[in-house]
Amino acid sequence: MSVFMPSFGFGLISAAVLAIAAVGFTMQFAVTNVLNLAYGSIMINSAFVTYWVNRTGVSVWLALFVGVACGAVVSWCLNRFIYTPFQRRNPAAITVVIVSLGVDLIGTFGLQAIISGSDVSYIMSQGRELHILGMDLSVVELIIFAICAVVLVSVRLLLKFSRLGKAMRATAANRSLARNSGVKTDLIVSLTWLISGALCGLAGTVFAIDAGTFGATSAELYVVLILAAVFLGGPGEPYGAMLGALTIGLATEISAAYLTSDYKEVVAFLVLLGMLAFRPFGLFGSEKTS
Amino acid sequence: MSVELSRPGVVLNASGLSAGYEGRAIVSDITIEAQPGHVVSVVGPNGSGKSTLLKSLVGVVRVLEGHVTVDGKEITNQTPEHVATLGVGYVPQIDDVFPPLSVKENLEIGGYLLKRGDVASRVEAVLAFFPKLSAMLARRAGKLSGGERKMLAMGRVLMLSPSVLILDEPTANLAPLVATQLLEEYVRGFADAGATVLIVEQRAKAALRISDWTYVLGGGRVVLSGPPKELEQNPVFVDSFLGGGTRR
Repeated sequence: MSVFMPSFGFGLISAAVLAIAAVGFTMQFAVTNVLNLAYGSIMINSAFVTYWVNRTGVSVWLALFVGVACGAVVSWCLNRFIYTPFQRRNPAAITVVIVSLGVDLIGTFGLQAIISGSDVSYIMSQGRELHILGMDLSVVELIIFAICAVVLVSVRLLLKFSRLGKAMRATAANRSLARNSGVKTDLIVSLTWLISGALCGLAGTVFAIDAGTFGATSAELYVVLILAAVFLGGPGEPYGAMLGALTIGLATEISAAYLTSDYKEVVAFLVLLGMLAFRPFGLFGSEKTS
Repeated sequence: MSVELSRPGVVLNASGLSAGYEGRAIVSDITIEAQPGHVVSVVGPNGSGKSTLLKSLVGVVRVLEGHVTVDGKEITNQTPEHVATLGVGYVPQIDDVFPPLSVKENLEIGGYLLKRGDVASRVEAVLAFFPKLSAMLARRAGKLSGGERKMLAMGRVLMLSPSVLILDEPTANLAPLVATQLLEEYVRGFADAGATVLIVEQRAKAALRISDWTYVLGGGRVVLSGPPKELEQNPVFVDSFLGGGTRR
């Protein structure tokens, strides 16, 4: 019992970070039809952009916006100059996945070469520790949780109530029919890269803040957790990704408390495999989206 | 019609049209015309290129040769989103709604090109025409029955008050009674209200009943055309399309 609540608290924070990343990833996948494995690389590169701005004396909470912008712009460029030219040739779906894997490796190890492989930390205070319902949470962790809540509510409002969000969902569901309805789907896809890229940049910085210290390869395995959350919820389903992130976040942190943190990714995929055995299309997914 | 759902029709014309995929023509040298207030049907056996013809008119399939005009304006190989702005509404045979979106959201996407303030009143107008949809506004389109789904598909297109309606096998997979109602009440109704209607239909007899002019496709070409009453006197047509094996 004494281990459970603290690990539950860690799980909530891990889930919050994972939810931001997973919602961006699955939104990108649903609308653009690209399983972008370079997502982790863009996350960590954005985290480093925030770091470099932070090193000039700017608060990490302000520098974070530069990281967000970096994620948005890099993701948009990635689509515009790499994925779209490939997609125009109608390649097999796996080809674009392999291309994204290549981009991921270039982004990650290119960054590692620049920073000489050393781990870094933001200049920031963790704030005082609070004891809430048996959980030990710092002020920074509460801020991360609040950021996650704002992001998830905003995504919900965007997708459900805005004209852009409905056009994004229509494009994801049936791009050809959306075009027949007058939706400029190329524009919608571009905007989706910007929005999901911004979420990727935000997730990268928040991930780095939560981790304390981070390096160029810190997000390599994190993509595995993002994929687990996304496929658990149902690929292309933002609300599913939120629930998937909560499940994976809690399962990995609670298991780490009782076993060892080395098994985090193992536990994540055990949860995923167990769930997919009962619901092959994920919690919110359908045959079509899968 | 109790509400103005469509704008006055305009002439839809295709001349010398060849179209297909990856440079290979599926339909060749097609010349057709549809006039305002008329239902023009296209019938023919499976694989004769009916759907490809419709898709080429609205920019979904590439036109390789020939021209498509609406009200005299060239729309050959224009993007589908541009064709929609010109008042041409297209209902595909399959994948005709957005399954994860609610009925209301489907209609709103249908009115995507409208001013924001006009969408709600337009939804009301479409619902007045398809009152059955009013009771299921919050339901996901993917959960609708075949007939309800087709009503929604047509309602989505009517959101932009089209001058030209292009319908690809709207009665496919519908029960005979629902199919007859759809064709005689709604499709004929659009034309009677002044719209130009071009319809591909497998149920040849039913299509002829509501049509003013019919084109018969075979092997990607127009092999016969004329008013339905004239075609019904043509023994080749009767043997091929109105015989015992033909669906009602």
